[in-house]
Amino acid sequence: MAADAAAERRGNATAFFFLLVLAVFCLLPFVWVFLSSLDPQAGLYLEWPQSFTIKNFETIFTRENGGRWFINSLIVDGGATLLVVVIAGIGGYALSRSREWWKRPFLYAIILVRVVPPTALLVPLYKVMLAGNNAIEPIIRTFAKGDAYRPTMQIFGFVDGYLGLILLEAAMQLPLALWVVKTFFDLVPRDYEEAAMMDGAGLLQRITRVLIPLALPGFGAAALLAFMGAWGDFLLPLTFISSDELQLLPIGLFRAYLRIDSVDYGFLCALAILYTVPAVVAFAFARKFLVQTFSGGVKG
Amino acid sequence: MATTYEQRIERQNRWLVLPAAVLLVAFVLFPAGTAVWLSLTNTALNGAAALHPRFVGLSNFNRLLNDGDFWNSLWVTFVFVFGSSVVGQFVFGLFSAMALNRPVPLRQFFMAAILLPNAVPEVVAGFIWISMLSGGERSTLSHLVGLVGIPSQEWLQTMPLFMIVMVNTWRGIAFAMILMTSGLAAVPSEVYEAARIDGATDRQIFWRITLPLLRPTIFLYMLVSTVGTIAIFGLVYALTRGGPGNATEIIAIHIYNQSFVAYQLGYGSAVAVIMLGVSMLLGLLYVRVLKVQV
Repeated sequence: MAADAAAERRGNATAFFFLLVLAVFCLLPFVWVFLSSLDPQAGLYLEWPQSFTIKNFETIFTRENGGRWFINSLIVDGGATLLVVVIAGIGGYALSRSREWWKRPFLYAIILVRVVPPTALLVPLYKVMLAGNNAIEPIIRTFAKGDAYRPTMQIFGFVDGYLGLILLEAAMQLPLALWVVKTFFDLVPRDYEEAAMMDGAGLLQRITRVLIPLALPGFGAAALLAFMGAWGDFLLPLTFISSDELQLLPIGLFRAYLRIDSVDYGFLCALAILYTVPAVVAFAFARKFLVQTFSGGVKG
Repeated sequence: MATTYEQRIERQNRWLVLPAAVLLVAFVLFPAGTAVWLSLTNTALNGAAALHPRFVGLSNFNRLLNDGDFWNSLWVTFVFVFGSSVVGQFVFGLFSAMALNRPVPLRQFFMAAILLPNAVPEVVAGFIWISMLSGGERSTLSHLVGLVGIPSQEWLQTMPLFMIVMVNTWRGIAFAMILMTSGLAAVPSEVYEAARIDGATDRQIFWRITLPLLRPTIFLYMLVSTVGTIAIFGLVYALTRGGPGNATEIIAIHIYNQSFVAYQLGYGSAVAVIMLGVSMLLGLLYVRVLKVQV
């Protein structure tokens, strides 16, 4: 038994050492970002700043357009998240409750849609977005004349406009959200609804009084996962947004560090932190759902 | 009465699922079909083919087979997926899950440290690794490996492919760790105790008990992670943009360049269709082998 205890201790020590090395590997890049964001003379290399400042964070909002990028990201990704929650909320409910033939094909299709890489759809998506733009343009022209046309188009346009990107990001996050919401509604017994129906509650009342309160964790999980997916996305804003004033955070950051002449690492690191914090916060809340999203429907 | 009531409910359900169906058809299914159609034409963004795209049958795919750049992108993608998701993330994820299963100090801290790279947006990951890797002898990585006598170099130039594998490994250990932790939790501790009483060594326990019992989890991980890694674009684009040359041009970047830099939409779509096909196969495998319940 003494030998066992010794082996156990040795195992624990090995585990600790392994985790320590791994943690250094995982955290080292963040140490650079953090130190450089507070360093008035930040460079490309990891070093201890000679003095500390919050000037780099001010630069984001004063000399650069970072505040605008942040708000654009909030509008697009927040809008997409809201849309996903509503559409996946009602769709997931129907998928959970329906007993009709389309239910199973629809659910299998969702799984397959989830594996479609967005890059593979980029060219056709461009055509879809152009068609959307052409369809909405005459409508905008009738309502927004002269100077109002361009700003309105930037909100409701499909190519280089908010609406198109919101719809697109929502569509990309929808399959997972549908799945999550459907799985949650599966756990809500039909009895509750039927009881409410007996008492004369209509569909709307059933949804707001019975179903939403019961499935709230599911909605929360779907919202968090959709927000994380949209917030971190780089490909779609890169492809479908071109105006400077509509730029999202990831592209703003990307373009800023490609400037060859004057790369301000302090500013870049501060911007990276501004962009990362919401993602990390969402991740922290979503963590306990992450396993369920893959193994929820799986029987090993 | 009962049937009409049922019918009314089902009609309601159909309406409720309609918005989701419309969005998925418009932005996923229709584009996927269009990609297949485009791949059979000589569509381009400029030149004569831009005005009158013609149906050219399988000639785009024929061209693919003889295109060194396409084979290069397949090879780079294979190395990227195999190196980072099948080997790197899996090995480190499994070992960290096993290590975290022990009563080690600072457990919560280690777990957070491993999760953090997974939480950052991909552009940020690319950006911060450029700082770790570039700058030759002054780069942070050069300083570190200098301690064990490895000569410093411009890492993204001398071994770009290995570097994108390493960075993606760094980013994805968390996912493997989360899945493996849940897999390990399902193994009853009596199994280990019984093995110890029978005098099994640590090595035997790992190969004969832990790995076999984790097999379903590992299989799930491999499928989900492979599909996800094939789809990666932003991380590598932000880090190397496919270069130097085409050394890190994974298939997603190849499609992007063919379509939006070279404007060969038909040809780019042929590559996209190959990518779609591979992902679909893996998706079908997921549904079939794991007997997904819907």
